[in-house]
Amino acid sequence: MSCGERGKGTMNSDQAQERPCMTRRQFLLASGTVTLTTVFLPSIPGLLGRAEAVPATLTQYPKKKVGKLSALKTDAPRYFNYPFKDMYSQNMLVKLGAPASGGVGADQDIVAFSTLCTHMGGPLAGTYKSRDKVLGPCPLHMTIFDMTRHGMVVAGHATESLPQVVLEVRGDIIYATGILGLVYGKRNNLDTGK
Amino acid sequence: MSERKYKRQDKVPLPPPDAKVFTTACDYCIVACGYKVYRWPVGKEGGLKAKENALGVDFPVSPLSGKWVSPNMHNVVRADGRLQNVVVIPDGDSKVVNVGGTHSIRGGCIAQKVFNPETPTKDRLQRPLLRVGGKLTPVSWDTAFDIMAKVSKHVLDTQGVHAWAMKMFSYHYYENTFALTKLAFSYIKTPAFAFHDNPSVAPDTPGFRDVGFDNFSASYEDWSLADVLYISGTDPYETKTVIFTHWILKGINTHNMKLIYALPRKTTGVAHAEATGGLHLWLIPGTDTVLHMAIARVILENGWEDKEWIAQFTNNKWGTDSGFGQGTRNTQWQWRTTWGKLETKGFKDYKEWILAQEESKLDVAEKITGVPRGDIVRAAEMMAKPRPDGSRPKTSIGIEKGNYWSNNYLNTASIGSLALLCGAGNRPGQMVSRFGGHQRGGRKGGRYPMEKSPEKYPGRRRKSLDLDRWVEAGNVRFCWCIGTTWVGSMTASQAMEETFKRSTVANPHQIRRKDAKHAVEVLKQRVDNGGMMLVFQDIYLRQPLGTKYADLVLPAATWGEEDFTRSNGERRIRLYSKFYDAPGESKPDWWIAAQFAKKMGSKGFNWKDSNEVFEESARFGRGSRTDYYPLVWLAKKKGMRAHELLRSMGTEGIQCPIRYEDGKLVGTKRLHDSTLKLPEGGPEGPTIWPKFLTAFKSQTGKANFIKSPWSLFSDFYEWFKPKGDELWITNGRINEIWQSGYDDMERRPYITERWPVNFMEIHPEDAEARGIESGDWVAAENDRVPVQVSGFYGVQPNDFTFTELMKAGHIKLTKARINAVALVTPAVRKGVAWMYFLDPKQPANSLVARVVDPLTNNYRFKLGMGRVRKTGESPYKRSLEEMSFARRDIA
Repeated sequence: MSCGERGKGTMNSDQAQERPCMTRRQFLLASGTVTLTTVFLPSIPGLLGRAEAVPATLTQYPKKKVGKLSALKTDAPRYFNYPFKDMYSQNMLVKLGAPASGGVGADQDIVAFSTLCTHMGGPLAGTYKSRDKVLGPCPLHMTIFDMTRHGMVVAGHATESLPQVVLEVRGDIIYATGILGLVYGKRNNLDTGK
Repeated sequence: MSERKYKRQDKVPLPPPDAKVFTTACDYCIVACGYKVYRWPVGKEGGLKAKENALGVDFPVSPLSGKWVSPNMHNVVRADGRLQNVVVIPDGDSKVVNVGGTHSIRGGCIAQKVFNPETPTKDRLQRPLLRVGGKLTPVSWDTAFDIMAKVSKHVLDTQGVHAWAMKMFSYHYYENTFALTKLAFSYIKTPAFAFHDNPSVAPDTPGFRDVGFDNFSASYEDWSLADVLYISGTDPYETKTVIFTHWILKGINTHNMKLIYALPRKTTGVAHAEATGGLHLWLIPGTDTVLHMAIARVILENGWEDKEWIAQFTNNKWGTDSGFGQGTRNTQWQWRTTWGKLETKGFKDYKEWILAQEESKLDVAEKITGVPRGDIVRAAEMMAKPRPDGSRPKTSIGIEKGNYWSNNYLNTASIGSLALLCGAGNRPGQMVSRFGGHQRGGRKGGRYPMEKSPEKYPGRRRKSLDLDRWVEAGNVRFCWCIGTTWVGSMTASQAMEETFKRSTVANPHQIRRKDAKHAVEVLKQRVDNGGMMLVFQDIYLRQPLGTKYADLVLPAATWGEEDFTRSNGERRIRLYSKFYDAPGESKPDWWIAAQFAKKMGSKGFNWKDSNEVFEESARFGRGSRTDYYPLVWLAKKKGMRAHELLRSMGTEGIQCPIRYEDGKLVGTKRLHDSTLKLPEGGPEGPTIWPKFLTAFKSQTGKANFIKSPWSLFSDFYEWFKPKGDELWITNGRINEIWQSGYDDMERRPYITERWPVNFMEIHPEDAEARGIESGDWVAAENDRVPVQVSGFYGVQPNDFTFTELMKAGHIKLTKARINAVALVTPAVRKGVAWMYFLDPKQPANSLVARVVDPLTNNYRFKLGMGRVRKTGESPYKRSLEEMSFARRDIA
């Protein structure tokens, strides 16, 4: 099944036809410069012998350096702010040591996520579990998110997956170029914070 | 793979200040969190400042604000003839139930439930459909009622009321359950009736009844007030989310409450319990009775029972003999009494009995239950051992399906007696209740005609009819299934589907033309020829009855599409507001029942709206656990509609039974409440004070110790339990899909991405022995599923034991096979696999025996069994997009 065919059944048909499918490279190149409506973010190609995609709606995001490949150690999370510097912009960058949806780097295992739980805004920083590659349980109500599956809820109460920061690698530098999903507390990820 | 994918959004529209606000409660699980609906026309949005939006808060909002709108909380509906935005958000101002706007994943996504043709809800049923030439074809409501009434009359005239059957939900709002049961019990007067979760009209927890406990006596706050909470057969984290995340966590966090879980599986809640000083009794499915008896023995041998309380609040020989606490003639309870194996002469007799049982000995119990003896002793200490200063731990007990759906009578009786040893059941923080499944919206519009039931216990006493067996035996000719997936939700599901097929589409008499007269003639011929006319009524065309076998399909309106009322697990009643237009010609169930009844010639169904049904229904619940008559009475006095008075109470509502005191309505926090002070002047106005407000539900108001002889169950258990390479394949629910399958499993891309297919948790050693890895397809096969096909009359005392039923040829063995994706995890016991319960395509119930507990006519839904083998690799094994295999038992 091609990415475009998949799109027909999954999205508003006008959107799917206007922008049937982008390659990851096209998406990454485009995201820093233009406003997008709907994109498919392909994950690791070849795993199933066909393209897999995560539909999402993104608007224009700033591009920001968030880390270096050479500085990352497996299972050692690092924290950064994006897209702004306020409390709603707290994120975690981690090399999982296992391939992940939306993962970058040679092993496609480097991912970044918001650390505000999408249930009620609980702080997830410091809850990374290396054995299971999950974030959580959230200290407030115990929601657990799978970092290899684009922040999918493993168990718990969040009404959306944990927002995933879209990453891009240039040489040794890792850039954030967008966020998939709405960050807790916000109306629009690009509203400036308090 | 699921076809419809979850689409991530990075913004959401906020309601503008002039948005209309409606109050409601979540439609799904028993907890029933309060919600608000904001509705405003498409093309407008609120702003970030508090004065620019209807929520009255500045965005971004802070953690725990209870005011955040996530994208899944927004949808677009048609209301007042135009497209309108809706935001359905947990009530952040709530002081009860979901205090501060906390919520589950299901309720938090409930906005996605409403009909929107741009979403996966587009297949909502919108018109009545008649199966013509095998194809469902739209017809008018009048034609549908005409056919139903004419065939019904023919069946009633030629075969009698026993051939006219109804199977319906028991909970989907007082207005609907009242109208439908008024039709079945007061107008048709048929005994061929069952609710969605039993094969017959039977109590869920008969042992509790015999002890004297009401199923829903506790308030949610009680779950935070205990020192020790024994949780049997459920994890409230998974299936009573806000009871766990607000009330139970409050107890753990504020005064170090300890949890004891009796479950065959480790879940997130169990992991948290262990991390906070609690205990997991990791038992083999179906062995709870032995576990309860062993804990009781440890308590008794050490003299840790609450002696003073027992002397004051439990029956002695004379109290027990006063009708077994329940009345003396022709009742199920009396039958149990005359059997002579269950009742005791009070505490001393119970103690002697426990100490005389082989199964209560620690070494025997350890062998049967699989729970190490040290854990059994530890549980007894935690629940009942007095502290050095002589004070006692406050112990509460909450049970659910894993308990009473694996060994219905004995599990509920034995845990009830154990509770009495701990002094639990009638005071704050020392309560015994079900946690609950679905919400409580049942109101019977008539009496079940027990005298017409063809079933009989040994002796002379009648027993309510087992409708599944009645259908199996070919005795039902007109069959109306309302709002339940009858086949998948009962046991031996695959065998049952064959029965429906045989009676409907495989019958030679089939409708060939879209013509009411022709349809009636053909259906009359069919019912005369041993077949059945099947009517299916729901919001979606569910399989298999709707999709494959129904002659008529009727579209129902539901949550948000009509003003409805319902109570939750602490008996709190709220108004569930209508906030948008029902799709197409779909109609609420009460209306459908009324139109059919009128077509039949009845004059008792002339309601103008759901409020009129509600007001009438109040008279049928007086003196009951959910008595709301004083509300209706007061509304009338004020010249208001009862629905409007309830609406004015918003998401808080009021706890039933409702009392009228000093000119005000007063709620009842808990039942059997020995601390409750009632006015000295006696009940006022319309108020009724049932005994159970302050005492137990028994003849004397004191509780009964009940025996639970393992031998009443063990012949079935020994026959059914896995042999050779068979495994227990038990079943249960998960947090992400709970009382919400019709939405979550099929129409909510956010959830279907998480759980695209049914799955099976299997222990690593069992998996390795079968070459199974996470993500593999597995087949679960049972080639000895027992189905009881006959045996309605008991004559000799042992006639209904499994051994005798087998000998007499009342049980036939059938085969079943279902598929699942394996999830290899040490969270299940070795020898036990676990599947999701109600998957419509792969119903785990297929592996479960269709043989009822003969004491109660309830199934043992949790006892499934079969062989498991790998059949291939699922696409999820290597996908990183759908289905997570990460462990859930993480603290």
